[in-house]
Amino acid sequence: MNNLITVNDLTIAYPMSDGEIFRALNNISVEVNRGQIVGVVGESGAGKSTIGKTALGLLDENAIIEGGSVSLEGEKISNLSEAGFAPIRGKRIGYIYQNPMTALNPVLTIGEQLLETIEAHTDKRGNAAKAYAIELLEQAEVPEAEDRLSKYPHQLSGGLCQRIVFAIAICARPDLIIADEPTTALDVTVQKAVLDTLKKLAKQDNIAIILITHDMGVVAEMCDYVYVLRYGGMVEHGPTEQVLAHPSKDYSRELMAAIPRIDKKVDRFAVPGGMGKSADRDRALAFLLRREDRNVIVDDKPLLTARNLSKTFVTPATVVSAEKVFKAVDDVSFDVSHGETLGIVGESGSGKSTVGRMVLGLHQPDEGYELTYRAQDLSSLKSRAERLALSKSMQCIFQDPYSSLNPRMSAGENITHAIKAHGTVGRTEAHELAGDLMELVGLPRGNVRKMPHAFSGGERQRIGIARALSFRPDFLFCDEPTSALDVTVQAELLNLMKDLQSTLGLTMLFVSHDLAVVRQMCDRVLVMKAGQVVESGDCDKVLVDPDHPYTQGLLQAMPRFSFDMG
Amino acid sequence: MLSFVLRRLGQSGVLVLIMSILVFVGMYVVSDPVAVLASDDFTEEDRIALASELGVDRPLMVQYFSFLSNMVRGDFGTSFVYNKPVLPLIVERLPATLEVAFLAIGIGLCVGVPLGIYSGLNRKRKSTKTISFLTTVGYSIPNFWQALLLILVFAVWLKVLPASGRGDTTMLFGIELSFFNVDGLRHMLLPAINLAIYKICMQTRLARSGTQEVMFQDYMTFARAKGIPRPRLIRRHLLRNIMIPIVTITGLELGGLIAFSTVTETVFSWPGIGKLLLDSIHHADRPVVVAYLILIVMMFVVINFVVDVLYALLDPRIRYT
Amino acid sequence: METAVEHTMTPKPDKPEPTMWERFRKVFKGHPMAIAGLIGVTLFILTAVFAPFIAPQNPYDLAKLDILDGLLPPGSRLYDGTYSAMGTDALGRDILSGVMYGLRISLFVAFTAVLVGSTIGVLLGLLAALRGGWVETIIMRAVDLKISFPGILLALMLLAIFGTGVDKVIYALIIGAWASKARLVRAVALSEMKKEYIDAARLAGLSDFRIMTRFLLPNSISPVLVVLPMSISGAIGAEATLSFLGVGVPITEPSLGLLIANGNDYLLSGKWWISIFPGAVLVAMVLCINVVSDRLRDHANPYLRAKD
Repeated sequence: MNNLITVNDLTIAYPMSDGEIFRALNNISVEVNRGQIVGVVGESGAGKSTIGKTALGLLDENAIIEGGSVSLEGEKISNLSEAGFAPIRGKRIGYIYQNPMTALNPVLTIGEQLLETIEAHTDKRGNAAKAYAIELLEQAEVPEAEDRLSKYPHQLSGGLCQRIVFAIAICARPDLIIADEPTTALDVTVQKAVLDTLKKLAKQDNIAIILITHDMGVVAEMCDYVYVLRYGGMVEHGPTEQVLAHPSKDYSRELMAAIPRIDKKVDRFAVPGGMGKSADRDRALAFLLRREDRNVIVDDKPLLTARNLSKTFVTPATVVSAEKVFKAVDDVSFDVSHGETLGIVGESGSGKSTVGRMVLGLHQPDEGYELTYRAQDLSSLKSRAERLALSKSMQCIFQDPYSSLNPRMSAGENITHAIKAHGTVGRTEAHELAGDLMELVGLPRGNVRKMPHAFSGGERQRIGIARALSFRPDFLFCDEPTSALDVTVQAELLNLMKDLQSTLGLTMLFVSHDLAVVRQMCDRVLVMKAGQVVESGDCDKVLVDPDHPYTQGLLQAMPRFSFDMG
Repeated sequence: MLSFVLRRLGQSGVLVLIMSILVFVGMYVVSDPVAVLASDDFTEEDRIALASELGVDRPLMVQYFSFLSNMVRGDFGTSFVYNKPVLPLIVERLPATLEVAFLAIGIGLCVGVPLGIYSGLNRKRKSTKTISFLTTVGYSIPNFWQALLLILVFAVWLKVLPASGRGDTTMLFGIELSFFNVDGLRHMLLPAINLAIYKICMQTRLARSGTQEVMFQDYMTFARAKGIPRPRLIRRHLLRNIMIPIVTITGLELGGLIAFSTVTETVFSWPGIGKLLLDSIHHADRPVVVAYLILIVMMFVVINFVVDVLYALLDPRIRYT
Repeated sequence: METAVEHTMTPKPDKPEPTMWERFRKVFKGHPMAIAGLIGVTLFILTAVFAPFIAPQNPYDLAKLDILDGLLPPGSRLYDGTYSAMGTDALGRDILSGVMYGLRISLFVAFTAVLVGSTIGVLLGLLAALRGGWVETIIMRAVDLKISFPGILLALMLLAIFGTGVDKVIYALIIGAWASKARLVRAVALSEMKKEYIDAARLAGLSDFRIMTRFLLPNSISPVLVVLPMSISGAIGAEATLSFLGVGVPITEPSLGLLIANGNDYLLSGKWWISIFPGAVLVAMVLCINVVSDRLRDHANPYLRAKD
């Protein structure tokens, strides 16, 4: 037996509150050799994190190992007690946590958290331990290593915190590191550098890595061998290139097809995910197209014009802190023409969502701006009726499906509550319409009375789309509508949005951090950085051959999913 | 830090001012001191004379400002009952109250925090369920009823501890204290336990829920995965985090403790400010009540300030600017 | 643990929404203590409501009292033949009857005060969260002022100023109850307001009133409902304390606290029943409410629920 770690037919079960048993893992076998980097990939609910937790004895109290085992160098470890894991944790298996900002204790210094690990696993004490801590930080490519020891986690960036977590993980030179989504919480430009460091550290000490991720690009760049999981079961496994380029199972094929590509634009993603019943859909479309002001004559001017948008957030002084001023958006101007989709792309904190929220009136822009919609100056709208007509025409698809629906209203009520309140439709008509709209966005109308918590993230996002459509809008602001979703669900939803746009002639402002998604959805794009537009133009130009170094950097940092699938 | 202190001082000043208005309105406007003081055989002339003697015939604003300026000078008037200036009357009783209060807090922390951490770490054990039920019982017995039961059991039946009074005291830095004296300590024990029972229950619950919450955090899982020894995990990672709410709430609850000391001191005839307050309420000794209120507000202001500073010391994420 | 997100198109198993009764059962199932508490609370409330029909004696009817019946121990017979299970006080009043009527007053005072106080608090908290600006500043400064001052002390002061009486005690307890609810609701409502469904409601052009009643209120009220039993038991204790100290309800309408105070002088001379029985009932009732309250809190606590 020359495997470093062997997961053999492992089945992990959780008893649920309703008496049923949920199997997080079902007969899973994984093998890792010394120095090998193995990817475990799957969408949420695949059970991939559970493998790592079993190997370290970190499963929740109520988890039951129903069958199978985990062995480290031929020695069974999955049945050890908390004390039995002591000589394994940190010493033979290191662990890298998903979110570096929450993995470090907020009230202890970096130095203390590093030194206590060193003291637990080596016989270095005092100055020797400190010197070793600095050495580890330098290996993990933390700049100004010595200064960092006295800092607290909240004073450092996410990327730095993750490097510190790396330093902690390699401190005892373990044989294996389990890295659970190590870059999910980080921006794309940081992600690449952090992954490079991880790979370097592993090579340097011949450490094997189990890399748990949902990101195929990361797998393609890092792993020698990959396991694909779904709903706790094994779909397929093999050398990375073989699985990614020539997947042998339907699900893996679908998964690969669902990944948005930066290098070429496709009309539709090749994923199943149908629409509802056609009779219901036709009724919904008839309602949406039958609108009083649909035929407003518009000259060749753009539908929406934004000039000199800026937004300064002021956090007022409180008992404990002085006033904070933060310029989220700095002098942004753009046009959106009828029927086109304008993308705004940027990393977190670039102010891209704030731009859209200002257009909708959810934020008041700083003085000196100009917003024109359908040749009307938005700031001059005074009467309630005018504002209402406007808010009906401009709607939003929100980012977080778990908070964008009123949890105390049924799906149908969420969709039609507002148009009922405005008297657009009557009570019975609203109920019919809610069902029709649900079928239009691909949900069975039988679910109209269910409460939001009964739906998955993707389904909730569909309800959110139906709600936005109920107002018969011309303009949709899509605020990272798929960033909280799995890749196959994202592909289905993007397909739906493309279909709706072409049927209804919608104009869209599409905000995303994902360049590939923007490439697939948008005609033109603005690239934002720290509140300013650094580059703009057609997607085919900006996202293929950008002029600005920042955009070039973004493109380069994207994990390439380079195997061609023929 | 300096601007924080200044801002806090300003806010505290406003708070004390508002409270002084409320107290003034409550004590001098809503209830008529003449009616309280006048006996039944007073004539109309007598009443007017009394009103001008008390100064209540002047306009309200004038009355308030003289009230305020006297207050600033530390002059709260003379007690009707004791016929002594009010301020020294209260100040000389303060040590007795604080002594019992601090002893109660000490007992509460020393018993409650370990119990709470134990229950938080061993959720499923039988002993945890027992502790949890006992804290509910402790919460459910009103303070005065606990006091009566304590007297009944320890003073009447077992006859091991005295039921009332302060006993012998020792002078220390000019303050009379019972703590350094066996007889005084024996007298202090029942009142302190009476106040501490509620504290123990509260600390146990705080520590328990804190422990449960912290044990679920990613950083605890990560700390376990690092392989550091369990005693260290609990001493540094857990305790540092749960101490933040415990210290904050203990500080803020000091006010509640002093409030409940009115009940405890009354039942145990403990000569502190709480008993003084209640006696004064019963005897309508208005100057004492007013002075007590203003002093208590000032004390709360100081306590809140100290708690904020402690909070910043314990939690590195908070920095006052 | 990861949140299980199902594949988009998998049809939902047709599970009906749980009814109120099913949700109620789920909270208490497998917790015999809490069920016992619930039964206890129900019995106490029924006793209080029907006291005039089931009490052996009307303790308010002074004509019926006989000084010769004074200070009889538990299990005695009164002069008119009534059986006195808990004995009598100095005036010859049957303790059991006194306790039943006292329960009535204690529960009435506590429920009224907490319900009125909480309603005021919830409305103010919602208003503060929704309106912001100076409305919020005024409301929240008032809350701070109130909360920085211990409730029992405040009640003591108010009663010292305004005099005693059942209505005065209720006012004092209302003033004690509103602030914490306002703070709680505002905190929850503020975090709800950051959620996107409120943005969606604003975008839909709905009125502030509709957003408050249909969106904010239903999503912010649960934490208040969870702490409500604890508030009620706290108010029962506070009323008893005030009455015990002689600044609560008047002697003509004795609550449990006042009954205990009446027996206080006799406690040391061996006539223990006058105080002990009302005290035991008081503690039992508060305990029952708190056991139920604990269960509600544990159920609402996500850290405990995750492993239930």
